[in-house]
Amino acid sequence: MNELRRRFQPEQIRELVLIGLILALVLFFSTQIENYLHPRTFTRISTSVAVVAIVAVGQTLVILTRNIDLSVGSIVGFTAYVTGTILAANNDLHPSLVIGMAVAMGAAMGALNGVLVAYGRVPAIIVTLGTLAIYRTLLVEFSGAKSVLTSELPRWLVNLPPTNAFRIGAIDIRLLFLIALVVVIVFQFIVTYMAWGRRLYAIGSNPEAARVAGFPAQRIVFTAFLLSGALAGLAGFVFLARFGNITVVAGQGIELKSVAAAVVGGVNINGGIGSPFGAFLGALLIDVIDNSLIRWLAISEFWRDALLGLMILLAVATDTIVMNRLRKAWVRHELQTSTSGFSVEQGGARHAT
Amino acid sequence: MFDSTITPRPILEMRHISKRFDATQALDDVSLALYPGEVHALIGENGAGKSTLIKIMTGVHQPDSGTILLDGAPVRIHNSQEAQTLGIAAIYQEPMVFPDLNVAENIFISHRNRGAFVNWGKLYRDAEAILAQLDVRLDVRMPARGLTLAAQQAVEIAKAISLNVRVLIMDEPTASLSAHEVNQLFRIIESLRSKGVAILFIGHRMEEVFRIADRITVLRDGRVISSRPRAAPEELDAQREVMIREMVGREVSEFFAKSAVPRGKLLMSVRNLGKEGVFSGITFDIYEGEVLGFAGLIGARRTDVGLALFGIEPADQGEILFEGRPVQIKNPDHATRLGIAYVTEDRRGLGLTLPMSIASNITLPSLRRYLSALGLVRRKEEQRTAETYRKRLMIRAPSVHLEVGKLSGGNQQKVMLSKWLNTHPRLLILDEPTRGIDVRAKAEVHHIISELAAQGLGIILISSDLPEVLAMSDRVLVMREGRQMGVFSRDEATQERIIMAAMGQEAITAMPSQSAIAEQAVQP
Repeated sequence: MNELRRRFQPEQIRELVLIGLILALVLFFSTQIENYLHPRTFTRISTSVAVVAIVAVGQTLVILTRNIDLSVGSIVGFTAYVTGTILAANNDLHPSLVIGMAVAMGAAMGALNGVLVAYGRVPAIIVTLGTLAIYRTLLVEFSGAKSVLTSELPRWLVNLPPTNAFRIGAIDIRLLFLIALVVVIVFQFIVTYMAWGRRLYAIGSNPEAARVAGFPAQRIVFTAFLLSGALAGLAGFVFLARFGNITVVAGQGIELKSVAAAVVGGVNINGGIGSPFGAFLGALLIDVIDNSLIRWLAISEFWRDALLGLMILLAVATDTIVMNRLRKAWVRHELQTSTSGFSVEQGGARHAT
Repeated sequence: MFDSTITPRPILEMRHISKRFDATQALDDVSLALYPGEVHALIGENGAGKSTLIKIMTGVHQPDSGTILLDGAPVRIHNSQEAQTLGIAAIYQEPMVFPDLNVAENIFISHRNRGAFVNWGKLYRDAEAILAQLDVRLDVRMPARGLTLAAQQAVEIAKAISLNVRVLIMDEPTASLSAHEVNQLFRIIESLRSKGVAILFIGHRMEEVFRIADRITVLRDGRVISSRPRAAPEELDAQREVMIREMVGREVSEFFAKSAVPRGKLLMSVRNLGKEGVFSGITFDIYEGEVLGFAGLIGARRTDVGLALFGIEPADQGEILFEGRPVQIKNPDHATRLGIAYVTEDRRGLGLTLPMSIASNITLPSLRRYLSALGLVRRKEEQRTAETYRKRLMIRAPSVHLEVGKLSGGNQQKVMLSKWLNTHPRLLILDEPTRGIDVRAKAEVHHIISELAAQGLGIILISSDLPEVLAMSDRVLVMREGRQMGVFSRDEATQERIIMAAMGQEAITAMPSQSAIAEQAVQP
């Protein structure tokens, strides 16, 4: 136990538990569902997780600062639709230009959120609830209730989902999944090794202190929203590639899924704790359950949201109960081993929650 | 000490600073100079303008008129970032740390010259080096969550040092510290002074101010009343008397001693009360009309005993007899019905609903009594009650409908007292009732405590302010790290004895200067 304490922080243990849980679930379902361990299962889950994982990384950046971004579902839908429409009209646009367009569109929408939250001091939940509705309405207005159809899209885009980046044994790593993986790794690196990333944690940990700490807290919050929007834009492109047919309700519910992924993945809704990697694991866990339950029990579409809600509640419950215990245990341990003049007040954990 | 022969020009100088908020003249032509290697104490009641002055120094507010000079050149400080760049940093009563970041990160979070990437190994080494400079031993990898307030302050000071601070403003840094921790803090201040840092020390405890300051400035109603070097040791008493008078503008004794009240019936007996992993073996009796002081250092778990007696965090060992009957106090509602009230140390967090009015706050725990037959709150009745307490406890507010958040600390404390007195308790548990409130309000609170005891209430007074405990208590129970170290009668209780018990035997040798000076502060 002491060795464990020295090597791992409670947050890392949570991530290990998530990995264990995902493996256990896969094992369980493999005994229940015929052909479950077929590589196709991995392909199916990994492509479907790509969209949510990318959005969840952006959501994590925002939640770390003790804010929330509810507009991501609308941004995904908007960018998927608008990019699709432009692409349908100009089939020979270069792919990098298309992706850049989607990201820029998302970033602009995220920037509006960021300005209002960071500089306008309007609570994030109000701002992004507002833009959730506004961006969706813009989409409806822009679309004139028409849909983007796969048949209008260029071949390279339609062929993108089944495209392999590489193979590991019998398992295909799809290009879309690889995009999500790269996003996760890049942002995991940023929040661990870059001053900007560490300051996200600082802001969520104690916003009042961040205001007087002498680093540009407002700008950092603004950038977090901007990046959340940009990543939602990227996810919009992946969404377009994956589905091809885009209607005005595209991306609805992704805000719920991304928050769920982050929270299940150990991102504290009050900020300061969590990581993009955790959110990715959260997204993966949710998708494994989602995908497998449908095949196992053939549960109806409508139960999936309830399931998602249940998982959010469970995650928050474990967070408040189990994680706080773990943190307290860690602090108490420090107290015992510390020979310093300053000691640790065990009651401190109580006030901190 | 301030010595004009070796004193170069001030690092920071405030000249004729005025600042107005709506109807209040917060600062009126204030001038103040901070010299390198000098500890400059600023004292004054709450609302005297100390906070405003600090906020102007750190760029949070802009002065309406007047100039700020840094090294003799006028500067404008637009925000805290600019203040930091200029080498001005402030440390507040409630340390501004980031609980989820570790100690090293907290120290360097504001640095902008360390590059965009974090080199964790170097970060830890640099943090250790800075803490070593301050002679503070802390694990730099440990999250700041769970550090004591004293340790958090040390982290903040380390942070200021790492930013090459030249002017360090300390806003009531000792308000929440135990005597031992105050010693540690003062050692750090001495070391900063010897490094040539100019320190502005805002304090409420006179004995501390007189122990650490080279120069003392009194602020009252936004004006500088006096500014003078600390007197020679033999004249300290006289100087303190003068300065207290200057602060309040009238004669007031710093400590109001509880008047002797004949001991009434036995109110509550506590036997071997304990809570797994928190405290154990707490045994005492409390009688009507008695004030039982709870002394101890921070982390002694006195508050936890209070929380257990009020049922917020119930005890799991031992027994409690309330008026002779065995009781198990399971929740605050139960405790309230028994006649126990607990006035928390955490005014803003737990004690009051800041956006609500004085009247609504006072009636909150006893709201049932104010309901009409229809279950609606009878506002008139509520207002009448609030008015009664406003007069009785001298709450300074234009109306009982004012938001509690707008009151000063002392008046908030009185609202909190009113709130619990209105539940008509037999036993009143007061947790740090005078922390962070000004001298006059403090004297008034002491007066109220004495009066309540005279009316036959039993009072448990948890306080880190040792002279206060000694002046107010009939008996003093001393705790250390969750254990009861002894109960002293009024005659037995001396500073030395209590500190010795609170710190354990071995630490007493480190204390003579503190107790000697603190001794002077006790008014007979």
